[in-house]
Amino acid sequence: MAAETPLRDLSNSKKANRADRAFSRVITGAAFTSLIILAGITIFLGAKAVPVIQDQGLSFLTTTVWDTIGVPPEYGIAGMLYGSILLAVIALVIAVPVSIFLAVFMVFIAPTRVSKFLTNLVDLMAAIPSVIIGLWAFYVLVPPAQEWQSLLNQYLGWIPIFANESGNFTGTPFIAGVVLAIMMIPIVTSVTSEVLKRTPPELINAAESLGCSMWTMLRYVALPFGRGGIVGGVMLGLGRALGETIAVFFVLKIVFDINFFNIIESGGGSVATLIVSKFGETSGDFEVDVLLAAGFFLFLMTLVVNMLANLIVRRTERLKS
Amino acid sequence: MTTLMSEAPEIREQDLVPQRPWSKRPTSFWLAALLGTAVPLSFAGVLYFTTEIAAPLLLIVVYLPLQLVSAGVAGYVAKGKHGILDSGLIVFAIGSTILSAVILGSMLATIIARGFEALRPSFIFQNSVYISPSTPLDYGGVGHAIVGTFLIVGIATIISVPLGIASAVYVTEIRGRAVPYVRFFVQAMSGVPSVVAGLFVLTVFILTGVMRQSALAGAIAYAILMLPTVARTAEEVLRLVPEDLRTGALALGSTRSRVVFNVVLPAARTGVITAMLLGVARVVGETAPLLLTALKNDQTVVNPFSDPISALPTFIFDNVAQPYPDAVTRAWGAALVLMVIVAVLFTLTRLLSGRNSMNK
Repeated sequence: MAAETPLRDLSNSKKANRADRAFSRVITGAAFTSLIILAGITIFLGAKAVPVIQDQGLSFLTTTVWDTIGVPPEYGIAGMLYGSILLAVIALVIAVPVSIFLAVFMVFIAPTRVSKFLTNLVDLMAAIPSVIIGLWAFYVLVPPAQEWQSLLNQYLGWIPIFANESGNFTGTPFIAGVVLAIMMIPIVTSVTSEVLKRTPPELINAAESLGCSMWTMLRYVALPFGRGGIVGGVMLGLGRALGETIAVFFVLKIVFDINFFNIIESGGGSVATLIVSKFGETSGDFEVDVLLAAGFFLFLMTLVVNMLANLIVRRTERLKS
Repeated sequence: MTTLMSEAPEIREQDLVPQRPWSKRPTSFWLAALLGTAVPLSFAGVLYFTTEIAAPLLLIVVYLPLQLVSAGVAGYVAKGKHGILDSGLIVFAIGSTILSAVILGSMLATIIARGFEALRPSFIFQNSVYISPSTPLDYGGVGHAIVGTFLIVGIATIISVPLGIASAVYVTEIRGRAVPYVRFFVQAMSGVPSVVAGLFVLTVFILTGVMRQSALAGAIAYAILMLPTVARTAEEVLRLVPEDLRTGALALGSTRSRVVFNVVLPAARTGVITAMLLGVARVVGETAPLLLTALKNDQTVVNPFSDPISALPTFIFDNVAQPYPDAVTRAWGAALVLMVIVAVLFTLTRLLSGRNSMNK
């Protein structure tokens, strides 16, 4: 940007000045809509969360029971919070390497035409609605995924995370994590490829002329240069994975007990999915309040992740300019 | 003299500095790559057809290691020691690309194949009154859901586009003191999960009795999700408007509002439309907010204030896990209709932004 200073109004007419000031004020007011909405979400959902916290104390975050009509009622979202994080971790482990390799292929290996085609492909993948991904996962992905999981269990079952005693391979955190990974790949890939494309050609030329192989060039030039942007992109994807509701709804069996690490055992948790699955069958207004409180904590979690992501991206951008 | 000048080859800077130095590869590279892939692939193929080993096992335990070794050998022959790591990198890069392409291809192929089973004129134009999950496919359709989607998205566009553009205008034209904060809050808002947007509308408007679960409530939730996309894209395109246009208009004595409405926004017209379309594409498939704020309805609803309303995503959601095959086929049909809408939006934004960048 050449001129960052406010454009000065050179008009002398008083009437025009007044109209202009009104215009400025309206625009300024409208620009703060996002702040108002964010504050509104915090205040309104927070207000609903207060009675719930008063009722249950901090055990709302550590209880694994869901009994809102019992006397006394006892409920908590520990299993859901942990489940959300577990799903996000599984999704990250799958999506990050795939996305980075895909971005490297698009930027450094593929011919220009293939690379353009892949950019469109990744963007189209990002545009597919989550309900359709859920539908596809339910009917197309889950049947073979059950077979993969039983193979994993058969050959690697001695590793605790691949243990499965029930013999039931549906509704596992692993499948839900794979679905989330599919939704993360386009986000992380497009951010990563943007960042890698911005590697200064001088640096790459210098590395090539020093006789670096492609791997060495990536390892010591391109990836360190784009590290901040890539981390930011991964965290944006993470925010999306934490907040994803519908696609997970179809492939995960919600159980309130914490499933610590048996990722191919049926049953897991997700705060966002809990809200939708319980909302249709609530037993009274109080349970709605409890779900709103759960939504409040989901909002806080994603807000923190997303703000961190943006700070990282912005800091690296500033360092470079 | 002039003829001599025109005959001399024009030397541009881009010709002197190779733009993609890494992309120049000798034929031997592609030959080695071809050979290095064909050998392990045919070996795994033979095993697949002659033995009973499960396909995923074969892929990961037999094919992948073989492919790595053979690519490593090819890399060593072509480039020496450095070629080995490079070949591994290329194997994983191509593998990831194929994996992503297969996932997307499988999605599109199933949506088209299963969706066409449901598709017929009555499916597009009729609503679902008197239709139970077991009713044959010849009766009933998603007409009401299509109307619902257009109604909700239309209202959401009317709400969010002016606000989004205003916030972009604030950042690029007014340039007040709060610019970094406005940008920060727009960024933060883009991370709001869709289910939270639905919960927000539920607490503020529905539980308080201000409005019923209706198209308007759903549209407000959609607008919350659209706003950051519209604002960020609009900001980017307004930045591309040359500074000269602004200073020129101001020098002629225009007021600031005139500069915005008569110069900047018209100059960025296609970009602003792109921003709107991207916003629509962002929300058109969102399900979770509608489950909380619009519920569902088998009738065609055109009044946005009064009644619950179905949209395509909620229609799909209701029919996915039904034990009746016809209901599931309906879900696929609705998914096809939704996907066509998404594809049209996607193509339009591509065409518009392509034209945008050609102008420069």
